[in-house]
Amino acid sequence: MAELIKVGIADWKLCSAPDTITTIGLGSCVGVVIYTMSDSFCGMLHIMLPSSKEIKNNTNRAKFADTGVTDMVMALEKRGMRRSAMKAKIAGGAKMFQFSTKSELGTVGDRNVDSVKAKLKEYNIPIISEDCGADFGRTISFNIDTKMLMVRCAGRPDKQI
Amino acid sequence: MFDGGLTSEKLNVLTEIGNIGAGNATTSLSVLLHNDLRMEMPVVKILEFDDIPELVGGAETVVSAVITHFTGDVSGMILFVLELEESKNLAGSMLNKKYDEGFTSFDHMDKSALKEVGNILMSSYLASISTLTNLEVHTEPPAICVDMAGSVLDLPLIELGQVADNALVIDSKFMDKDEPIDGFLMFVADDESYKKIFTSLGLSF
Repeated sequence: MAELIKVGIADWKLCSAPDTITTIGLGSCVGVVIYTMSDSFCGMLHIMLPSSKEIKNNTNRAKFADTGVTDMVMALEKRGMRRSAMKAKIAGGAKMFQFSTKSELGTVGDRNVDSVKAKLKEYNIPIISEDCGADFGRTISFNIDTKMLMVRCAGRPDKQI
Repeated sequence: MFDGGLTSEKLNVLTEIGNIGAGNATTSLSVLLHNDLRMEMPVVKILEFDDIPELVGGAETVVSAVITHFTGDVSGMILFVLELEESKNLAGSMLNKKYDEGFTSFDHMDKSALKEVGNILMSSYLASISTLTNLEVHTEPPAICVDMAGSVLDLPLIELGQVADNALVIDSKFMDKDEPIDGFLMFVADDESYKKIFTSLGLSF
């Protein structure tokens, strides 16, 4: 029986076909899928913050773009995925609230996206497709067979990227 | 926060603040909605962030959320979260309009109406804290968002995940004629703020 693997906030998990992997309700958080064209497994990460270096309470490495991407890449390699073949798809990083006062936090979505991209670049992992920014939340799920990332939003049509 | 456990005494204090706040809010909202509102006793609980979307039926449930930051002696953020159907009832009752079944997004007026209700509820709660404790609390202009609960609640999670892992949830129910408005207020503050609140009421933290 194929199962649905759920990735929580500040968490990452690996998933093998025929199971599907999903993470629900990305707002300013960013979801990252790393896969290859040949492997029948993948990893999905749900990060909250751009950098582990800016915060004292950083014991949960999956919370941050920098440490989260690193840990998941290492785990995928350990499982036998070649780094040179890795590809990524990302979604999230929205700006959910439009405050009239300027706030650093309003841009945390953008900063999360930038930080994820920088880290993936450091590992030479190309981003095949992305659905980031804007002002709405996203639920994503990844199909390992078709390598498609399904993006669902409230009150908008589903899309595959 | 509350690692040593929240004594029932402290929870009672927070509940009482919630009662007074809800009482004030009922009066203001009755005027705004031109209706006699009735209020049920709010239930106050401390919840982990991860468990909060469950209050509205899960992270994918669409909700309206009004959010305000506050500063002063006590600082943090407060949210008013209401499920979509009830948001429609509430905005409809204020603006005297009906929404279609398959309706997907509120317009500017709808959001403005919901923002005002949220603002009244949140300000009433903050005012009751301020009155009881003699502490200064200033609220900033609110913002509203209508989307999946998970995605709406990740901003408070990000902002205060650095200082707190849980939030005070004030589950309040109002009856507008026979339509329930069953939302909740979520109050998030750091240890320092709680310490000031309890200390000023003569409780040790």
